Amino acid sequence: VTDDATRTLGKGSAPPGPVPEGLIRLYSMRFCPYAHRTRLVLQAKGIRHEVININLRNKPEWYFTKHPFGKIPVLENSKCQLIYESVIACEYLDDAYPGRKLYPCDSYERARQKMLLDLFYKVPHLTKECLIALRCGRECTDLKLALRQEFCNLEEILGYQNTVFFGGDCISMIDYLFWPWFERLDVYGIADCVNHTPALRLWIAAMKQDPTVCALLIDKNIFLGFLNLYFQNNPDAFDYGLGC
Amino acid sequence: MSGGSARSLGKGSAPPGQVPEGLIRVYSMRFCPFAKRTLLVLKAKGIGHEVININLKNKPEWFFKKNPFGLVPVLENSQGQVIYESAITCEYLDEAYPGKKLLPDDPYEKACQKMVFELFSKVLTNKKTTFFGGSSLSMIDYLIWPWFEWLVALELNEYVNHTPNLKLWMEAMMKDPAVSSLFIDPKAFQGFLDLYLQNNLEACDYGL
Repeated sequence: VTDDATRTLGKGSAPPGPVPEGLIRLYSMRFCPYAHRTRLVLQAKGIRHEVININLRNKPEWYFTKHPFGKIPVLENSKCQLIYESVIACEYLDDAYPGRKLYPCDSYERARQKMLLDLFYKVPHLTKECLIALRCGRECTDLKLALRQEFCNLEEILGYQNTVFFGGDCISMIDYLFWPWFERLDVYGIADCVNHTPALRLWIAAMKQDPTVCALLIDKNIFLGFLNLYFQNNPDAFDYGLGC
Repeated sequence: MSGGSARSLGKGSAPPGQVPEGLIRVYSMRFCPFAKRTLLVLKAKGIGHEVININLKNKPEWFFKKNPFGLVPVLENSQGQVIYESAITCEYLDEAYPGKKLLPDDPYEKACQKMVFELFSKVLTNKKTTFFGGSSLSMIDYLIWPWFEWLVALELNEYVNHTPNLKLWMEAMMKDPAVSSLFIDPKAFQGFLDLYLQNNLEACDYGL
């Protein structure tokens, strides 16, 4: 059971109090890939944190004081400082907390990881469109083709570098920033999009061996249960799989 | 530090040699606002550099080996390392070179600058919809428009050619009845601005 296994807060809920010293708070949703990035970094760096899940279809009024458009993820610390945009939040955590650094120290290698992130920018949109098309019974051949092309670009990078991970021979920030969408390929029904990219499949296998990734792996049946309710517009979708 | 005013290299040009030690090279174009970002940081930090201008209408074949997207700015150092995307080049220079830090040290303050930059980038790229509020013109478009009208009035609107979505938005805005009926005449605006900058008390009534 991961530490974000709590019921969502929705409209009419009481705003949470200030964040206790020594903790950082993450406003999240258990199935959101962007928030997943931030949870991976919190886990990888062993940062003490608390998670408040937000009902994205029934957002609490107070949540708009944390983010102007009510998006997640948002970090809030004990100084009432708010940080949003998943990539910015991840970098903030790497900068602000000691211990293992996820971004490389070398300025060129840091820049390389940021350039790699740019290569990834179409993937979230394409995977989401495939999911929606499949769930609505529409065909998505063109979308899958476009997604495969993006994966080919990533495959080329791994081939050119001849490394297991995108940042080198060890897992680093860029791998965690990519991961959430790859974890979802199977449950979205598009796992065949990596059929022609062997290096990418090896990367996926290596990622599944990483202790941080493992600790946060979402159970397939629970995810499917969430997706079923979500596509029926059921506001209870976000709490699927939680105990009473 | 020279070459900022050198003629651009185009198709058929010989690829430039290695970057000399102690210098960093920036592939640029004199009127590109994205490349201007990198030049500003190089200047502000006093970084020794050379500039190679690229003919963006007739790009040299070798340039795509530097940046597969074929865009400027691109940095290249004496170790042959290449960095592109304007914001990434600027952050790289701040980290790799000594002297005054342009990004704050404090992680939260640094994150704030990045959050503001994201908002600004969304205005510049406006990838998703025709207008800022969706598929039809709404309040947000009117709120943003006046600053872009200034670009037209100053005859600087050519520069949005680099941000095609923004250019399309401007063209759509200029067809709007409210916008076109209140459009500033460029000559009147330039007359006003001349007087205004001289602190002339008659500036506001120019043309009346």
